[in-house]
Amino acid sequence: MDDGRLHAFLRRLGIDVRPDESRAASFLFLHFFLITLTFSIVKTVKESLQIGVNERWWGGFDLGTAVLIGFAVAINTRLLNRLPRRKYSSLTLGFSAGCLVLFWYAFDLYHRRIYAFPSLLVFVQSHLNLFIFAFSFWSDIFIAMTITQFWIAVNDIFHPHQAKRLVGFLVTGGLLGGIGGSALAWVLPKLAAPHHLLLVCPAVLLLMIAVVGLVHGEGERLREGAEAAPRPAGSGVGFLESLRTVGGDRYLRILAGVLGSAVLVGQLINFQFKFVVKAQGWDDATRTSSLAMFFSGVLVVSTLFHLLATGRVLKRFGIRVALLVAPAVLVLGTAPVFFLTIVTAAAVPTLAGLLWAFLLRGTDKLFDTTMSQSVRELLYLPIPAEIKYKAKVLIDMSVNKFALGFGAVLYWVLYRALSFAMRTPEERVRVLGLFVVAFALLWMGLIWIIHEHYLEKVKADLALKWQDGHKVVAANVDIGLTRRIVDTIQSRERSATLYVMNLYGLVQKEKLTAELMEAIGLKGEEIKARSMDALLGIDGETSFQGIEDIITDKDFDSAVREVMALPVYKDLMDKQIGDLVARKSASEVARMEAAKALGLMEPTPAVIRELGRLLRDPSLEVLNYALNSVAVHLRKEHVPLIVDLLGNPMSRQLAQDTLAAYGPRVEDVLKKRLQDRGAPPDVRRAIPEVLARFGNQKAADALVAELEAGDELLEAHLIEALYKVRSNHPQLRFKKRRIAAAALYLARRHAADYLDAVEAGAGREPGPERQAAIDLRTKLLFDLLTLVAPAEDVVKAYQNILRGTKKSVDYSLELLDNILGADLKELLFPLIESLPPEERCRRLRRSLRGRRPR
Amino acid sequence: MDIKSRDHQSVVVFDIDGEITISTMPQPTLHQVIKDELERGKRDILLDLKKVDFIDSFGIGELLASYVSTQNLGGKLKLCSVSKKLFLLFQITRLVTVLEIYEDCDRALKSFGTP
Repeated sequence: MDDGRLHAFLRRLGIDVRPDESRAASFLFLHFFLITLTFSIVKTVKESLQIGVNERWWGGFDLGTAVLIGFAVAINTRLLNRLPRRKYSSLTLGFSAGCLVLFWYAFDLYHRRIYAFPSLLVFVQSHLNLFIFAFSFWSDIFIAMTITQFWIAVNDIFHPHQAKRLVGFLVTGGLLGGIGGSALAWVLPKLAAPHHLLLVCPAVLLLMIAVVGLVHGEGERLREGAEAAPRPAGSGVGFLESLRTVGGDRYLRILAGVLGSAVLVGQLINFQFKFVVKAQGWDDATRTSSLAMFFSGVLVVSTLFHLLATGRVLKRFGIRVALLVAPAVLVLGTAPVFFLTIVTAAAVPTLAGLLWAFLLRGTDKLFDTTMSQSVRELLYLPIPAEIKYKAKVLIDMSVNKFALGFGAVLYWVLYRALSFAMRTPEERVRVLGLFVVAFALLWMGLIWIIHEHYLEKVKADLALKWQDGHKVVAANVDIGLTRRIVDTIQSRERSATLYVMNLYGLVQKEKLTAELMEAIGLKGEEIKARSMDALLGIDGETSFQGIEDIITDKDFDSAVREVMALPVYKDLMDKQIGDLVARKSASEVARMEAAKALGLMEPTPAVIRELGRLLRDPSLEVLNYALNSVAVHLRKEHVPLIVDLLGNPMSRQLAQDTLAAYGPRVEDVLKKRLQDRGAPPDVRRAIPEVLARFGNQKAADALVAELEAGDELLEAHLIEALYKVRSNHPQLRFKKRRIAAAALYLARRHAADYLDAVEAGAGREPGPERQAAIDLRTKLLFDLLTLVAPAEDVVKAYQNILRGTKKSVDYSLELLDNILGADLKELLFPLIESLPPEERCRRLRRSLRGRRPR
Repeated sequence: MDIKSRDHQSVVVFDIDGEITISTMPQPTLHQVIKDELERGKRDILLDLKKVDFIDSFGIGELLASYVSTQNLGGKLKLCSVSKKLFLLFQITRLVTVLEIYEDCDRALKSFGTP
């Protein structure tokens, strides 16, 4: 089947797979199917054999495995390091097939009492428990090793968000394999002795070797052109180094704790289960067949549960909830043993007890094989490759067994200390139940903690691709000073008076540094001033030399201030400027000088009045000086005039700066004008920027309220302003529910626009111009999302989706998946994920549920 | 002041002729024409200032606003053929720390990754 047909087939099955992933996903599905087929058979035989021996041995099996597992991991790690991964997997599978044949032979020898080898028969008969232990140990290693190999392959091939989409499909393969294996284990013991089941497995393992070859081949194909190849097998890592890696990383330690506590809880539940099953008094064949029936039943239910729930829970509630479900349900499931007599009544087995034990163990297995397993594997994905392989082998193979060892010791202590042999199964189950609850609570706590660390790990792989432009400018440039300097330089050509006043303004702000004087050529300069001729109407020209010394002299500053404070000066200037402003024939330069001078003078009523008149001046240059002077006096009389200037693109920026200089005291005026639908649109559009600069709660609330009003005319400006507020004032609080509603509304319209564009283009992706508009709206949506989710995370995700590698795009999606609400994700993801147009449209239509906003 | 734009592969080059000042600024303004290009999906902007003698405070505001708009969309705004006088002005005002300035427009174009 070619890629296209395979992809179409998988899509028809409802699997969220992309065309280039189809083959790899299918091979991995088959790989996991074969693993669990074998594993179910081996596990059923193992459990049946264990239940058949005295219960005091039960802990010993697990403890022995825990003690010896270190050697197995060391050998396994050495092989993993020395051999190419494909070869390593094939060799271990071949070795396992050989072992199975040997175990089958030993059990067959015992079962059929073949006298051809009397000494061997005697040895097997007298050491049966040792053989059962050896088989238990081998099967634990085999299961851990093959499953670890499988997940390493998944890690090699997919990134986190890919894996999250596909893990459900892969686990389904595992569940179906489990059902197949359990069904065989259920049926075959009725036809032949249970140990013959073991002969089925070598054949499956040989088939698995071929599948492993296909999986690795596909992995190599997919990695061609990818940004980073996985760590090659052979770059030496020892067991101790793996141990150090896990020990030195908090995330890995918690991950090990999550796995360990889950295993421990499962083991304690298993002990409870075994007590109840043993109390039934079944023979070997009945027990094996019953267990197989139980396991296959669990797997069928697990498959249904997995198909119906895992993906949905993971998608809707995220990793944390998906992980918490299992321990929470197990705590609730254990509770009945403390209140009800359900297991036995005076050692007489009851159906209720059996049902409870099957239900609890079944629930544990159900979650373990579905949701918990899927999500636990996802926790490995954000770990860097060089650490992941060291950690995964150790955690999956050793921690698992150490937890079992710990459980075995605990069981042994309880067995001895509480004289389990003398107690009824119900009492034993109840005591174990207490520990189930305690460790399940620990498990839940660790899940809570690891989720926080998981997001940190995901984020660690994402870097900002560019800095926020406003922040770059604010950090590097003093815009006010830049304007003053440029105005000063420009004024030199226009008017000596204006030039000197500008220089004086720089002196007052203590910005006329020696470097600046040098740069603008002030040093040693001769300036020819016309004695404020325009202002005072005096003819004649006077030359001044060494102006830098005069203007920077403190006495000069005092003298200027004294003169300006003189009543006679004020009267004279009020009159002169009043006449000049009123005179229609006054030159532009004269009006500029007047506007500048008004900023240096004390704010008498005449000064304020004349400034107001100059704010209506038709010359943009005069307006520039007038606004600068208004920003000195900050009188409320001027506010309406400045607000009107927001409507002119040429004066808008300076008007915004001037209003920002007023600060929050003009908030109410601005808010009222913002809400006034009759006000000029350009004025209204310019107001959010000013409110954003106030950066207080009231301004933020005003922006949110206007956004909620749904005026599309202002939408982009309001969102940009809110983004700026969020970015510069992270301490401000936003009502997330309100913002999320606005974001959802925007996302719906965005989705509808995309669908309209595709439908207008007969199913093709929108053209470049339409796509550009869509991209800008996506940016707006992300800007708004910074108010409902951690701003830095949203910005990082947006930038990496836009400019990142395939890996960082995937990590960004994973980050967003963990920080955004389900409704938003449902609309946003189809818009930002790399999807074929028809798939994108299908998802968007589903998200909109047939209701397209206008 | 006259603003003409031309495409050079993915880069939009603006040839500016005259002073960038409040009194010479055409409508739509420089910032607005750059925003229009950004809305068309362009992200690489080059301002050729060969024929620009002077920039006033309004012009500086336009340049900075254009820089911010481009930067915030993940684009690049660069300047080329800047006169010594203007370069000095950018140095005094520390605009050189924000704006990427090239003496030669060909080098500026190459810096966008275009051949």
